[in-house]
Amino acid sequence: MVQDSTRLNGLRAKHGRPPAGPHEPQAAPSTLRQGQPRFRGLEAGHRACQGCGEALAARIVMENAGPDVMVANATGCLEVFTTPWPQSAWRVPWMHSLFENAAAIASGMEAALKARGRNTKVLAFGGDGGTYDIGFQALSGMLERHHDVLYVCYDNEAYMNTGIQRSSSTPHAASTTTSPAGKERMGKRHLKKDLLSIIAAHHIPYAASASVAYPADLARKVRYAMGIEGPTFLVVHSPCPLGWRHASALTVEVARRAVECGLFPLVELERGALTNIMPIRTPRPVVDYLELQGRFAHLFDETDTRAIEERDHLQALADHNILTYGLAGTGDDPVDTTGIAHVRRGGPLAERT
Amino acid sequence: MTMTRLTRGAWAAPGTSLEFKTGNWRSTERPVHAHAKAPCHAACPAGEDQQAWFAKLQEGQPQQAWRALVHANPLPAITGRVCPHPCETACNRAALDGALAIHNVERWLGDEAVARGWAYPVDTPAPDAPRVAIVGAGPGGLSAAYHCVRLGLNAALFEAAPEAGGLLRSAIPPTRLPRDTLDAELGRLLALPGITLNLRARLGRDVTLDGLRDAFGAVILSPGCELPKPWSVRGAVPADLHDGLHLLRDFMDHGALPDAARGDVIVHGGGNTAMDICRIMKRAGANRVTLITASALPGPNTARDDLINVVPRELEEALEEGIEVIEHATVSRLIMKGSRVTGVEIVSLRKEPGPDGRKRRVEFEGTERVLPVDMVVPCVGEQVSPDGFEGVLDGAYFWPDDAWGRLREDGVFAIGDARGNRGTVAAAIGDGRLAAQAVAARLLGGDAPVADLRPERGVAGLNTAYYPAMRRTAVAKLPVAKRGFETEIEGGLSRAEAMAEAERCLSCGNCLACDNCWTMCPDSAVIKTVEAATDGSHYVFDLDYCKGCGLCAQECPTGYIQMVAETG
Amino acid sequence: MREALEGSLAIARAVAMAKPDVVAAYPITPQTHIVENLSKLVAEGDLHTEFVSVESEFSAASVVLGAAATGARAYTATASQGVLLMSEVLFNIAGLRIPLVMTVANRAVGAPLSIWNDQSDAMAVRDAGWIHLHCASNQEAVDTTIQAFRIAEATELPVMVCMDGFVLTHTMEVIDMPGQAQVDAFLPPFAFSRALDSADPRTVGTLVDPGWFAEMRHSHHAAMGRALGVIEKVDADFAKLTGRASGGLLTVTGDPDARVGILAMGSVVGTLEAGLADFGTEAGTARLIKLRAFRPFPARALREAVAGLDTLIVIDRAISPGLGGIVGSEVSAVLQSMTAAPRVLNYALGLGGRDIPESVYPALIAAAANPLAPRFAVFDADLDKLMPEDR
Repeated sequence: MVQDSTRLNGLRAKHGRPPAGPHEPQAAPSTLRQGQPRFRGLEAGHRACQGCGEALAARIVMENAGPDVMVANATGCLEVFTTPWPQSAWRVPWMHSLFENAAAIASGMEAALKARGRNTKVLAFGGDGGTYDIGFQALSGMLERHHDVLYVCYDNEAYMNTGIQRSSSTPHAASTTTSPAGKERMGKRHLKKDLLSIIAAHHIPYAASASVAYPADLARKVRYAMGIEGPTFLVVHSPCPLGWRHASALTVEVARRAVECGLFPLVELERGALTNIMPIRTPRPVVDYLELQGRFAHLFDETDTRAIEERDHLQALADHNILTYGLAGTGDDPVDTTGIAHVRRGGPLAERT
Repeated sequence: MTMTRLTRGAWAAPGTSLEFKTGNWRSTERPVHAHAKAPCHAACPAGEDQQAWFAKLQEGQPQQAWRALVHANPLPAITGRVCPHPCETACNRAALDGALAIHNVERWLGDEAVARGWAYPVDTPAPDAPRVAIVGAGPGGLSAAYHCVRLGLNAALFEAAPEAGGLLRSAIPPTRLPRDTLDAELGRLLALPGITLNLRARLGRDVTLDGLRDAFGAVILSPGCELPKPWSVRGAVPADLHDGLHLLRDFMDHGALPDAARGDVIVHGGGNTAMDICRIMKRAGANRVTLITASALPGPNTARDDLINVVPRELEEALEEGIEVIEHATVSRLIMKGSRVTGVEIVSLRKEPGPDGRKRRVEFEGTERVLPVDMVVPCVGEQVSPDGFEGVLDGAYFWPDDAWGRLREDGVFAIGDARGNRGTVAAAIGDGRLAAQAVAARLLGGDAPVADLRPERGVAGLNTAYYPAMRRTAVAKLPVAKRGFETEIEGGLSRAEAMAEAERCLSCGNCLACDNCWTMCPDSAVIKTVEAATDGSHYVFDLDYCKGCGLCAQECPTGYIQMVAETG
Repeated sequence: MREALEGSLAIARAVAMAKPDVVAAYPITPQTHIVENLSKLVAEGDLHTEFVSVESEFSAASVVLGAAATGARAYTATASQGVLLMSEVLFNIAGLRIPLVMTVANRAVGAPLSIWNDQSDAMAVRDAGWIHLHCASNQEAVDTTIQAFRIAEATELPVMVCMDGFVLTHTMEVIDMPGQAQVDAFLPPFAFSRALDSADPRTVGTLVDPGWFAEMRHSHHAAMGRALGVIEKVDADFAKLTGRASGGLLTVTGDPDARVGILAMGSVVGTLEAGLADFGTEAGTARLIKLRAFRPFPARALREAVAGLDTLIVIDRAISPGLGGIVGSEVSAVLQSMTAAPRVLNYALGLGGRDIPESVYPALIAAAANPLAPRFAVFDADLDKLMPEDR
């Protein structure tokens, strides 16, 4: 243990130091950037689109998980925009192999660390495509084998990197390039997969959903998961301005409304049991969420009865979530959807209380 | 420069993305820190930046808050009692869960400064610094003297009365402004080195304007309005006419009212003096006190320019005390028995737009009715006593050319109620500060002061999702039965209450240091740094990496971050 | 120490002596006993390794990739369908230049389903960028497995140790197992230069644009070229230590003066050696070339080995439908530059586990003597079993 803490302190002292790299010596990063009172696990200069929810989520995850971590990252936007050779935005050991094997790579990392007597925590990152769909088997295997890995799914509800194709996480009725709205179709015909329930059914210590709209809550969940030895899972709702077709400035607002309307419930499950939820202080109508996004624009043709029906369907799905998880708030709660966002001079209110 | 060589398996070194300046992607807009005026600040006649001093309270530093406050207004214990607080009317929080109790917190800060003996943040002017003559030691003159000293000038006050204070002493009852509070705050101000007070020095009798102009570098005229405006109804004036201002002065000097004041009284007017005299007469035993006003009481549909111009809580207390108000009316005829008035005819009126676009009063024929009265008290405004100002006055008032009070006479400035379109203590205090700035520029060199043209940040410019709901702190009031002529009616805030109320400030248009921009930038292009930001904020934008997404501006609670067009 | 062991058990013991940090495997159909035996060694406390029982071959390859990238000595074993399920990862491992060792118990690839031996699986991933070493006996497989770790770690290239499924993996053979001390002396602990480590955080698996991809492939190709020398040196070092070589890049046996040569990989070499012994006098002798290193391909050594031959018969244990033999095609291409290249006859043999009897030897020699012999044929196919249009 002494050895570990010494090593960790060494690491903490070190992060931010310009690395000895394979290419030309860099200008030292500005002192201001170096002096940031948080771990810059995901550095600036990455090539995410303007207002990228995934970049925001990953940055917050890294701040709260690092520095003594290593990452297995599935193919996807996050991988592509952070690591165009010869540059990398990461300040932790990080590896990308394939689309569908992040959980297995992470399993291997964890096995190697265990074999070599190291305490570095392994993280696995994937998008919804790499998690809900193509990487699902490897993820299930990793959870079943009880690897000490925190898997984070950045859920932007479609295959954004490949061109906005529908995934099993795409919400019902959303228009994507492979579930386009047209004369015969109102976007995706199927439902969003309830991945979290499936994950929780593995009886793992901790599985939770979070949102970029609530950084304090996301940070808490990351730190909580980091403290658990064994498999843990986080799905983070991460709006994609390009794929969802909303203004880049509205990323957090869109994410907030998704939670407030009930379509993206924020819940925590331990050993399969629901142990915590973020209550919704004032549930919003689903249309408040839908109307900000071009992917649901076809639902706002008032002359089309199918559009009205699908809006009602989405409202019913949201209501179902609220009922199933008991999301309706009962009075003001400092950590409900309204309270958790509050700030005061000097920072988030939640950090003070 | 060494060439980049392919590493085995193309591994990359950590953090090297910093070599890629994503700021190049910004095409249309970039974020800037844009200090805007909080509506309270924009609305304050005294020029206080309430947001700024609330920020200090939020940091837990009351003394710093007071220092920020007295940068504009040296008399917070007084304005914290008498001001109609347009700041609260303007407060963005009114749209959420009630305006901040700015007025009450200001009073607490003023009282705290007196109790703890906090020193004004001013230096003693050099003995040979230019000297400024100030005529009148009411709130405007005192403010002018204070700001002259603050700016490095010596100030000499010339006051006709035996005591400083002007209308604070002569027209505001102790129930609103206790005399020990008044004396304490004025005493502290007058004790500042650099201020000399000459009492019983009336212009035109003891000194002359020309004499002052010869002896001093500049002259600031702050005589106030001592004379009631002439009042008659179609030429009729009762023989025993008592105007409200004189009644109030007499009552405060001698504690007595005419006998007729025991019966039914009509007060004609609509300002704070009218309100004060109504309440005093009622408490002194009048059978019935009715205010006749051309304006309207506050209601859900009352237009701003139609609203009666009194301190809202004074009106509220007056109604509690049984004052009756007839709105949208004027006195159209006096019914006399001999030279004594026995009744008034009143008629409904409204301000209607005229052919030239300006509003005019229109009396509605057929709405006349007669009220029996024992006494009519006109209270329709005051004007400057002209002695000693011959040639300088323009009609009943001074009408300077600009906000700094410059008159056509070189080196002469006019401030306060004497300007004719002021009407509050706070406005007089603000005028004093502005005139002192102009005088200091004139006498000490330097640029002439300029108007603050920053935009105002209204509630639409805020992101209110980030503010917790907090109920406005209520203050205690004396019950009606216990209200007399000395004890202050309105209570104060405790320290805890004041600090809690300060937490409600939204920091409109100014950095709240909440970390939202820092936390929510997907591109790590917001750098947190209290020390290095030169604009008073706690963050800087790293435009080398900012892609211009606008997320920080969208999620900034206070509207302090604005997206502006890229230039060049 | 010599003892009679099943091939799979012998390989498991050899792997254990290499002291891998991480072993991951999945029992796809068809599978071998290698990982079962390793599991048993772990269960008995004879092997201290992180044994990861994955849910697929795909994850098996991924786990050893992740582990090796983190600095672990890692091992997996597979066969047939498993190799193909792994194939995406195999390219990835090699492209990232991650050293690890995998045993492939060579078998046919469906459809149709066959659980028996040929080399279609390894051939299907010949371009993945791995070193392929083919073993002719269980002894060679044991020795090559130990050598493979050293080769992989020296070259930072993954090594596939190919041994014929069933024919070797499921048969008993007297094997001289090296001692642990010998293996320890031969194989120092693994210290990976690029191991993922939070004290020195590298980014592995970047996105490489067209401005760099050609150089990536060139550097990989160059590393494979350098590996030729490493394979030879490691085998020589092993021979010094144990007195046993495993065949370097390739080995020439039989009659050095013969005008006919036969080239083969894997256990069929033993069959041919027996055929030569039994039928050589009667049918005619041949020079036998046992090709051990299929990747990197030892072009120069091969040209030297065939010098003076009139005819070279290349045995393929797989087929590329529409072309013919795979090893044969490659050998033909390599010999093009010779001034007196032998005629190459390329015959697929023993597909899907068909028994290869020693009597195949005289049949091959007879074909070599026939100037009209087809350049390619599925040599042991019974055409009468086919519909007329398929003959």
